[in-house]
Amino acid sequence: MTFDRRDFIRYGGTALSAALFGACDSQGPEKAEKLLRYAEKKNEGVERLIFRHTSMDHAKSNVRAAGDQFPSYFVSDVVPTLDAGAMAAWRLEISGMVQKPLSLTLDDLMKLDRQTQRVNHYCVEGWTAVAEFTGVPLRSLAILAQADPKAGYVDFQSFDNGYHESWDVESATHPQTLIVYAKDGAVLPPAYGAPARVHSPVKLGYKNTKYLTKIVFMPERNGGYWTDEGYEWYGGV
Amino acid sequence: MGEHARHHWIVRVTHWVNAVALTLMVASGLRIFNGSPEFAPKGGTFCCYPFEGRSIPASLTFGGWLAGARHWHFAMMWVLVVNGLIYLGFIYLHGEWRDLVPRRGDLRDTWAMIKFYTFITKNHPRQGKHNALQKGAYFAMPWIAVVCVVTGLAIWKPVEFSPLTNVLGGYAWARYWHFLAMVAIVVLAASHIFMVFAVDPYSLRSMTTGGYSERLSPEERNARPFYHLLPQAAAAPAVVAAPVAEVSAAEKSEIT
Repeated sequence: MTFDRRDFIRYGGTALSAALFGACDSQGPEKAEKLLRYAEKKNEGVERLIFRHTSMDHAKSNVRAAGDQFPSYFVSDVVPTLDAGAMAAWRLEISGMVQKPLSLTLDDLMKLDRQTQRVNHYCVEGWTAVAEFTGVPLRSLAILAQADPKAGYVDFQSFDNGYHESWDVESATHPQTLIVYAKDGAVLPPAYGAPARVHSPVKLGYKNTKYLTKIVFMPERNGGYWTDEGYEWYGGV
Repeated sequence: MGEHARHHWIVRVTHWVNAVALTLMVASGLRIFNGSPEFAPKGGTFCCYPFEGRSIPASLTFGGWLAGARHWHFAMMWVLVVNGLIYLGFIYLHGEWRDLVPRRGDLRDTWAMIKFYTFITKNHPRQGKHNALQKGAYFAMPWIAVVCVVTGLAIWKPVEFSPLTNVLGGYAWARYWHFLAMVAIVVLAASHIFMVFAVDPYSLRSMTTGGYSERLSPEERNARPFYHLLPQAAAAPAVVAAPVAEVSAAEKSEIT
């Protein structure tokens, strides 16, 4: 083998200094940025490859629902809340690459076939919370709106100061991806995204846009609030 | 160099790649852990972690922030796994695994090493390329790594691999096992590094260039931690403290 000693020390030294550089709460060398992006892309490929609509999340029966210990989270300064007038005017629009754009009132949404599921909420920070969510599977809405099969992406938009996150359509149409309007048997409170939010155990918490206004089927991905900050776009669980 | 090296170049390269990858995995993992440094699900409790809610000091972490640490962790995991597979594949095909698998007599040999290190016996046991303590550590390392990978998969994809996550007791427990496996690796690695510097610093050479001299082996030097770091032909007692010198001198006279 022609891996001589000098090479070894040179490469070993570079690698070691990278490691030492790491030992001080650093983000790592800037040159690594490209490599990390490449790895993220490859990881997304792997994650999408193993993704199955038949893989379901079920909260363990011995784990209690988080109830009001479920962290409330939004990016506005105060809880985004609709008053009675705004609530009456609120519509959930399903648009983009669809044959029949929809504009649903909360009543319209509640009249559709609902699904209730007791699932985990997986936060990117590492915690989980169990809740019982009730809502309409997005796949039903996609069928209702006759979404174009060529639409590979779905953007979930909100009235929470521009917060949005776009998803791959496979995750969006997973049977456990719901447009939720009730949590733990009660109408969804403003602290948790009223009047409606997307919730799915197959995506990390930050992908699950609250305070929904628009669901847009798209040919391309459209980033997202935390994605644009540097978190993984895929954010799959 | 290849043929007479103490460690094959593949072993040497994978060793150092592993050292770097493992360091980055542990440090970025600790930064990820700091995103929520507790194991209890929200609204629940967790029985078995005494430091719930306490962050790991930032100086021990890597990645800068949660997203950065996650990018590093999910990139470096492939380096760790591929490098580990190259190492394991190599020692399987090349026969080095024979130096590492446990066999009858290892417990006796372990006991012999403990007795030597605690000054109950005088002479370094001769147990082949690795002594029984080393063998145990080097054999355990890949298995703990497997636990790291399996528990890691369970918390990376708890929905896709939900049967696995459930077997491990659910997400919170799987995360806990992943954490404990990390602690085990850190303890083993720290002991390993301690022993390298305290007993056999010459192994740094054999793990980089492959060069090795029997004269400098722990057996020849009769080396215990911090004892007989220098070869016995040189003035070894000069580097050790006074009360220690007595013991060393006594032993030296016995050897010579």
